[in-house]
Amino acid sequence: MAQQIKGGPGRRDVLKLGLGAAGVLMAPAVLRAQTAELVVGGAASHKPWVESIVAPAFEKKYKCKVLFEGTKSLVNLEKMQKNKGAQYMSVVQMDDPVMILAVKEGLLEPLTVAKVPNLADLVAGAVHMDGMWANYLQPWLGIAYNKTEMKTPPASWADLFEAKYKGRIVIPSPQNTEGLPLIFIAAALAAGVPLEAGQKDAEAGFRKLATLKPNLLTIYTQMPQAYNLLEQGEALMIGPAMSSHASERKAAGAPIDLVAPKEGVFAMPSGIAVVKGGPQADLAYAYVNELLSAPLQAQLAGPTSSLGANKATPKPAGLPADLKVIQIDWANVAAERSKWVSRWDRDMAL
Amino acid sequence: MTRLLRSYPVALLALPAILYLALIYGVPLAGLLARSVMVGGTFSLAGFTAFFSDTFSWTVIGNTLRTAAGVTLLCLLLGYPTALALARATGAAQALILVAIILPLSVGVVVKAFAWQIVLRRDGVISQALIFLGIWDGPQRLLFTETGLIVGAANVFVPFMILPIYSVLKLVDPRLGEAAATLGASPLYRFFRVALPLSLPGIVTGIAFVFSMATSMYVIPSLLIGDRFQTLATLTGRSFLFMRNEQLGSTTAVVLLVISVGVVVASAALSRRFGGAS
Repeated sequence: MAQQIKGGPGRRDVLKLGLGAAGVLMAPAVLRAQTAELVVGGAASHKPWVESIVAPAFEKKYKCKVLFEGTKSLVNLEKMQKNKGAQYMSVVQMDDPVMILAVKEGLLEPLTVAKVPNLADLVAGAVHMDGMWANYLQPWLGIAYNKTEMKTPPASWADLFEAKYKGRIVIPSPQNTEGLPLIFIAAALAAGVPLEAGQKDAEAGFRKLATLKPNLLTIYTQMPQAYNLLEQGEALMIGPAMSSHASERKAAGAPIDLVAPKEGVFAMPSGIAVVKGGPQADLAYAYVNELLSAPLQAQLAGPTSSLGANKATPKPAGLPADLKVIQIDWANVAAERSKWVSRWDRDMAL
Repeated sequence: MTRLLRSYPVALLALPAILYLALIYGVPLAGLLARSVMVGGTFSLAGFTAFFSDTFSWTVIGNTLRTAAGVTLLCLLLGYPTALALARATGAAQALILVAIILPLSVGVVVKAFAWQIVLRRDGVISQALIFLGIWDGPQRLLFTETGLIVGAANVFVPFMILPIYSVLKLVDPRLGEAAATLGASPLYRFFRVALPLSLPGIVTGIAFVFSMATSMYVIPSLLIGDRFQTLATLTGRSFLFMRNEQLGSTTAVVLLVISVGVVVASAALSRRFGGAS
């Protein structure tokens, strides 16, 4: 034993090692002192535009470093739960239903106009639960169609109901958030009123939807299966289709395109919030404020095929300037949803 | 129990399996049963009354039984001749047929269902063949129809029809048929009066296997026919996962269980009867 100890590290070695370790541990602290770091949690699909557009602009303006952790909403929620009391993320970008869970767990710090001035310039319905979170971008719902099979793009929501598309239409289930507005669309078409008014008469919507049945190939709950059918030409149209997903498939080379029907499109929300007790609170509010600003949203609208939540953000290229964007009355949806799902099962069955 | 053990000491060998099933299947099942008859903490059959007084529930039960019957019939029509061929074949031919039956079992249900989605397309093999043969004038929809579901599901379940029938057929003495032939029986007569009655226990077992699996299938209908065609199994899944209606979910699960147990008990009784007759 004694022999072995002699061969081990001496006092000087230990000292050297200690000094080295201290150096390694201190180095980032020194760096941090020079440039503050802001950790933002979001979806993996946000990573390209956060790192190429948002982070460079923000880092330049606020002399800091943005570290983006791209996973998914539920993972971010779990990270916040695990680190409660010692948060390392300052900002989260998550889906609205997950935001509701985070609010219930007391993980978010409300946004105020004093801390986030751009909050005042958002479209109606973009600020939720007294400022617990806000929508920065809104992917929209249009009609996705197969370009090879359909030479003339659809122009109206009424096209989905045309008899010549028998068995070639795919629609989302109302279990999926993007499926609900179809009830409002049908109601508006039936009554000949604007889409906005359709939200108030689900009953008329269901009656009109029954006439869509001969045209249905299927009703999807899994988006990839639906796009698979569209890309293969088995389905001619998916409506309503999420702009973010459809344009991602289009960019990947799928023979599909997305149109905004003349009656207008529905907005779907993407949320942003400040983590309660997170580090760098001032930078966190500044980051949220930047994402809610019109100039930055204008840069993001194209790559994400989304609408900006700021009133001053211009519509992304390819969309008509006079496009009508309809905000969904989510409180009404939350109250009625399970009733609609059960009604849908009966009315839309084969 | 003790008398059973004294007369059949070999029953002890089943004890580990019985304990295992009692723990991980019996206990949760009791919980499920309890939940279906408990409303707000008290005993009530309200869940069942509500379920059976709803016409939609009867549509769902009808969907479940109709598709299961269709799948079973198709499996029997495809499986019986295959089982016969397998029982009569020898050497390499038998090994080849056996591999052809067993190997597809190693391909997951999801993969098979996706493959069927391609086969059943408007420009898929079946559609093209039917148009080529002049049966169809133009492409028609097969995907997301009941026919498509039955055809696809039969593909997944057919080995469970073939194997029990084969195991009975291979025990039947081939000389019985020959003897009947020497007595002047036509091939058709020999099949219906000799081979078929002797293979009935296998057929009953095969039907019980396929029928109970087809009533409870979940993944195949979700992929091949989708949301618009609810069966007891898919409705149970939806009630728990999406509608958060545990009462409805446990009720449909119990109804499904009663149907499956009914099939198993009836087939056991039938196969004992036919077993005794042969």
